Amino acid sequence: MDLNRRRFLQVAAVGVIAGIASARYRRLTSHDGPVDRPELLLMLGPDRVRELGTHYRSVTPAENNADALREALADGQARPFFGRKPIADMVRDDFADGRTVVVDGWVLSVTEARQAALFSVRTSPL
Amino acid sequence: MHTDARTLENDTVLDGDLCIVGAGAAGITIAREFANTPVKVILLEGGGFEFEQQMQDLYRGEIVGQPYFPLQAAALHYFGGTTNHWAGFCSTYDDIDFEKRDWVPHSGWPIRRADLDPFYARAQPILDLGPYKYDAADWKMGDAARVPLIADSRSFSTKMWQFSPPTRFGTKYRNDIVNSPNIHLYTHATVVEVEANDGLSAVQSVRVRGFDRKELRARAKRFVLACHTIQNARLLLASNARARTGLGNGNDLVGRYFMEHFEMPSGELALANPETTKTKLYALEGLGGPPRGELAITAAAQREHRVLHGTASVEAGNYGDPVKSTFQFIDTVMMNAQRAWRNGGMKGPPPMAAASAATAPRDATPRFYHLTTRQEQAPNPDSRVTLGDEKDALGVPRAKLDWRLTDLDKRSMRTFYELLGREMGRTGTGRVQLREWLLSDDKTWPSFISGGWHHMGTTRMSDDPKQGVVDANCRVHGLSNLYIGGAAVYPTAGAVNPTLTLVAISLRLADHLKDRGL
Repeated sequence: MDLNRRRFLQVAAVGVIAGIASARYRRLTSHDGPVDRPELLLMLGPDRVRELGTHYRSVTPAENNADALREALADGQARPFFGRKPIADMVRDDFADGRTVVVDGWVLSVTEARQAALFSVRTSPL
Repeated sequence: MHTDARTLENDTVLDGDLCIVGAGAAGITIAREFANTPVKVILLEGGGFEFEQQMQDLYRGEIVGQPYFPLQAAALHYFGGTTNHWAGFCSTYDDIDFEKRDWVPHSGWPIRRADLDPFYARAQPILDLGPYKYDAADWKMGDAARVPLIADSRSFSTKMWQFSPPTRFGTKYRNDIVNSPNIHLYTHATVVEVEANDGLSAVQSVRVRGFDRKELRARAKRFVLACHTIQNARLLLASNARARTGLGNGNDLVGRYFMEHFEMPSGELALANPETTKTKLYALEGLGGPPRGELAITAAAQREHRVLHGTASVEAGNYGDPVKSTFQFIDTVMMNAQRAWRNGGMKGPPPMAAASAATAPRDATPRFYHLTTRQEQAPNPDSRVTLGDEKDALGVPRAKLDWRLTDLDKRSMRTFYELLGREMGRTGTGRVQLREWLLSDDKTWPSFISGGWHHMGTTRMSDDPKQGVVDANCRVHGLSNLYIGGAAVYPTAGAVNPTLTLVAISLRLADHLKDRGL
C-alpha cells in the first residue's frame, strides 16, 4: 500500500512537471487568438505594430528572435493545473500591475510588446 | 461716474475710501461689490475703453530664461483687462491644490478650498456660468453619451469645465461701474508709484502719470493693486522711493514664484473600440458651449507618485497631424487676425475657429485623440519678475521676466501619461503614446514650450511674511492698508485656469474689506 502510494505520487509529480514544460514550450496558438497577432493590430495597424515590434527587439537584445519571444510569452502564460492564461488577460494584468514598457512613446504591456516583436519577426521581409 | 484722467489738471488730488488700481476681472469684481454703498471707491484704469497701442506698449518687457510670449500681447491694458480676449475656461481648484505637499517645495495656501466654496458659488453668475456643479455626473444633460472615459480608477477622474460666453468685463459691467454714484472710474490713469508713509507701515497715496507728464494722486483709506500679476510686482518693485528694494519687498519675495500653466501637446490616445467608446463628454463644442471634461490625475495618484496636479484634454484628431501648443496656435499673427475679425464686424468664421477646423478628424468615428497637458508649474523662487534697465514711456522700468522650470514639472507630465497609458490599457479603453519631447530627460524642454497666458504668483499668499508677500486676506505684510487682487496671490497654480478662482478670491477680499469697515 505504501509502495503504491509512493509510486502514485512519483507519477503524479512527473505528470505535473511534464505539463508545465509542455505548456511552456508548446507552440503558442492560444484559444483567444494567435499570440503573434496582438490586439494592438486593431488599434494601430500592421505597419505601426511591426515598427513597434522591431523597436522593442532592438532595445531588448535578449528577445531578438522568435524562440526567445515565444519562450517569454509562454512563461507568462504558464499556469499549473489551470491551463494557459489567455493572452488578453495577461495584457490586462500587465497594465494593472504596472508591467509596462514605453516603445516609441507608446505605453504597452510587456506581453503585447513581445507580441508585437513576434509579429515583426514573422512579417518583416528577410 | 467716469472721468478721463487726461482732462484733469496737473497735481489733482483724488480722495476716497477705497482705491483700486486696475479695472480687470479682479478690480471690477471688487468695485462692483461696493456699488451703491456709502463707500467712495476710486477705480484707476491705465487704459481707456478700447485697445490703444501706446497704452499696450507699457506692458512690453524683457524675456530671459525660458522663451515666453511677448508680454505686451499676454495681458490687455484697458478697461476690462485681459477678459477682453480670454477664452472663458472655468473650473475650480481642488482640495489638494491648497494643501502643503511635501513633494512640492513651497506649496500650501493659508486657506482651504472650503474657505473659497461660497465665493466660487457667487463667482459663477458673474462669469455667466451655470450652477456651481463640477462633477461629471452633474453634466450628463440627459445624454447617455456624456459619461467618463475611465470609471472606477484610482489614478484618474474627469475634471469638469464650464465655459463663460466669455464674459467681457469691460462690456458687461461698464454701466454698473459708470452708473454707480459712489464708484468713480478714472480711465487713462496709469499708476506709476505706490507711496507709503515714512514708517513704511501704510500706503498714503498712489501717483498717476499721463503721457503728457501730467500727474495726479489718489488718496484713500485702503488700496488694492489689481493690475495684473506681472504689473503688480513691477509696480511694487518700482515703488522704491522710500523702500529701497521696493514696497512690500522686505523679504525679497516680490516678483518671485512666477507661475504659468503648461499647455503642451503631450500624447495621443488610440481607442480600442471607437464605435462603442463614448467621448462626447470631452468634446469642446465651441467657446461658451456646454461643459466638458478633461482627464485629471487624482489626489491619491499625485501623492503616491509625488507629482504635480494636471489634466489632459481629449480632442479627436488625425494621427500624425502636427499639433500646436497654445503659444504656437495663438501667436501674434492669429491674435491680430482675431482682433481684425472682431473689429470688422465679425464677418465669416473667426480665424481661430477656421484654423481649428483645418485639423478636424477625417474619420466619422475617430480612433485617435490628441492629448494636451494642462498642468500646474511647481512654485519656484527663481522664476521671477524683476525690473529691467529700460524704462517705458511713463518713466517706469519695464518688467523683466525670467520664467524658470524645475525637474518636477516635466517628470510630473511624463508620469501622468505613463499612468494614463496603464489605465487605458487596464480598462481596455485604448493605448496612449507620449510625444517624443516627453521622453527625454527632465531638464530639456522643446522649442514649442507653452503656457496658457496664466500669470500667477509674484506676490504669493502666506501667513509667514518670510514665505509670502500677502497674508490670507491678501493684505501685504507690514502694510496695514495695501492689498493685492488677482492671481498674483496664488501660492500654487492648481491644474486649471485661474479666472474663476481669481473672481472668487476677489469677492472674498471685498467681503474682508467690508468687514474691516469699508
